Amino acid sequence: MAAITLKNIIKSYDKTQVVKGIDLAIEDGEFVVLVGPSGCGKSTTLRMIAGLEQPTSGDIIIGDRVVNDIEPQDRNIAMVFQNYALYPHKSVKENIVFALRRLKVDNEEIERRLSEISEMLQLEELLDRKPADLSGGQRQRVAMGRAIIREADVFLFDEPLSNLDSKLRSHMRTEIGKIHNKFGRTSVYVTHDQVEAMTLADKVVVLHDGYIAQSGTPMEIYLNPTNIFVAQFIGSPSMNIIEGTLFNDYLDIDGYHLPREQLSNVVYQASIPDSGLKVKVGIRPDFFNDKAFFSETEAAFNFTNLTIDLIEPMGFDKEILFNLAGGSVKARLDLRSEIKRGGEIDLLVDLSRVLIFDYQTEQRL
Amino acid sequence: MTPLERAEAKFGWKLVAPTILILGLLILYPLMYNVYLSFFDVQLNGYKTFVGFENYMKLLSNTDYYSAIGTTSLYLLGTVVGTTLLGLAMALLLKEPFKGRGLVNAAIMLPYVAPVISVVFGWQFLFDPISGVVNYLFVDVLGVWSERTNLIGNPDSALWVVVLFDIWKHAPIAYLLILSKLVSISGDQYEAAAIDGYGPVGRFFHVTLPELYFVLATVVLLRLIWNLNRFEDVYLLAPNVQTLPIFTYYQAFTGVIDQGLAAATSVIQLAVLSVFIWFYIKKIMKW
Repeated sequence: MAAITLKNIIKSYDKTQVVKGIDLAIEDGEFVVLVGPSGCGKSTTLRMIAGLEQPTSGDIIIGDRVVNDIEPQDRNIAMVFQNYALYPHKSVKENIVFALRRLKVDNEEIERRLSEISEMLQLEELLDRKPADLSGGQRQRVAMGRAIIREADVFLFDEPLSNLDSKLRSHMRTEIGKIHNKFGRTSVYVTHDQVEAMTLADKVVVLHDGYIAQSGTPMEIYLNPTNIFVAQFIGSPSMNIIEGTLFNDYLDIDGYHLPREQLSNVVYQASIPDSGLKVKVGIRPDFFNDKAFFSETEAAFNFTNLTIDLIEPMGFDKEILFNLAGGSVKARLDLRSEIKRGGEIDLLVDLSRVLIFDYQTEQRL
Repeated sequence: MTPLERAEAKFGWKLVAPTILILGLLILYPLMYNVYLSFFDVQLNGYKTFVGFENYMKLLSNTDYYSAIGTTSLYLLGTVVGTTLLGLAMALLLKEPFKGRGLVNAAIMLPYVAPVISVVFGWQFLFDPISGVVNYLFVDVLGVWSERTNLIGNPDSALWVVVLFDIWKHAPIAYLLILSKLVSISGDQYEAAAIDGYGPVGRFFHVTLPELYFVLATVVLLRLIWNLNRFEDVYLLAPNVQTLPIFTYYQAFTGVIDQGLAAATSVIQLAVLSVFIWFYIKKIMKW
């Protein structure tokens, strides 16, 4: 068991900086998800923790050792690779116990751990097969088994589910969650899938362009994103960004006046000119409600007479698109709403969920 | 078979028939004629007398034949092990790209593409007892040997010169075959093995070698087939080294010419080689 600390990690290839200074503290037993679009440096960061890449500068500390100059084989880590990286010439069993053979664990102990793990991952029937004879999901489970059996200090996951179909992916996501609960090892998990980030993480670290855009618990990131990038990256469908103008008493969106004192998430202190301050307003599609089913409370604002441009039924939900302040805005309503394209609707928004961002820097105000 | 498959198979046979015919004429006919000759006492004027297994009996009671088998075995062992190991070592060293790799590759391939006859003379000159650089180096400079020796003139040492020559000339093809597989091994297997706690040596034995298994087996097989039948390199460099092809040649075309006996020699060689290759392909290469 070990905590991990990254101190001002920078990684460059030739002249291109991929990771531009990351500071991160991962507590012992914590499940941290690094999430971001491709090219944000998340995989490189993980590979540096594993020792497969050398940081250009900065320190990586696992437990109480600075591991910068320690080879991967001496770091006591386990890793699940995106394409599993199973040994094609070894049987499933030998793939799983390969690390234990190196550690000279005695045979009885190897068999004990193997049977425990193969039962947990339902691999009993497959132990004598070669990786080439397995399906994608089975290979993924073998790769998991190989990582778990080590009882290593740190688990690293490099987009482990991205090669699976969506049903299997959500199943394995649950399994990974269960495994973490059972073993409680420090885990670092890289993904571009915000659902995996939200569901698995104790702490989500959103990376953008080589920097940490924000880190925090999944709900902090979801409810209180510090900039538009994070706001739109986390949550599906992604947050609506609408142009508006902030005045001393109210927030103007396309002629709707949202009372300032009830915007509890807007804590802008600086003085505002009389002509108003141009801002970007963030409202998640989930925070719109059909007025027909919700009574207007004090903290709710009523957007009246919105024209529905498009309806996307999803089963339990339906997503509707309407026009607001010159942009297309999405709302997620439940199946009770009886609406049709071109019709009009009144939507309520919980004012405490409305966020505003600086028009230029796109940082939270 | 469905009717369509049957028609396809029939069509396939029609397509390969000309090839089979030509190959039959060029390979099968001489081969069978060779087997036929091995049962005759062949005169140079073309008269043949059927002698049954007499040629084989004569051969098997000839001590020179057994000594040729011994020489061939040593030659095969030395050349096959030598070329494979040298090819592997070069491939491992030159796997990672570096500046000037193209030039190094070209230099490595040079012995393989150079005509035998020209490099053979070069080698004879190297080993010349009076003016050769080898004797100069080992006697005058290093003082390893006390006196100059004619390494090619003595059949015992000439065998090792021939082995060395073959390794030098044919390691490039082993290098090429091994390298082509080596560069295609995916890097993440090495990464996984590193994470699993294996250092460079462990990774070589658990990732590189298993991946190279079939290409190494192919190199060994090819080298065995080529060298069991190799004539020109040995004969040109050191005609006193009697491997089986050389032995057969001496039987058939020099001194007391005995083509029947020579035919019997090559029939046995073919039979041994066929059985060996069959076994090798079944058991080692698992086809």
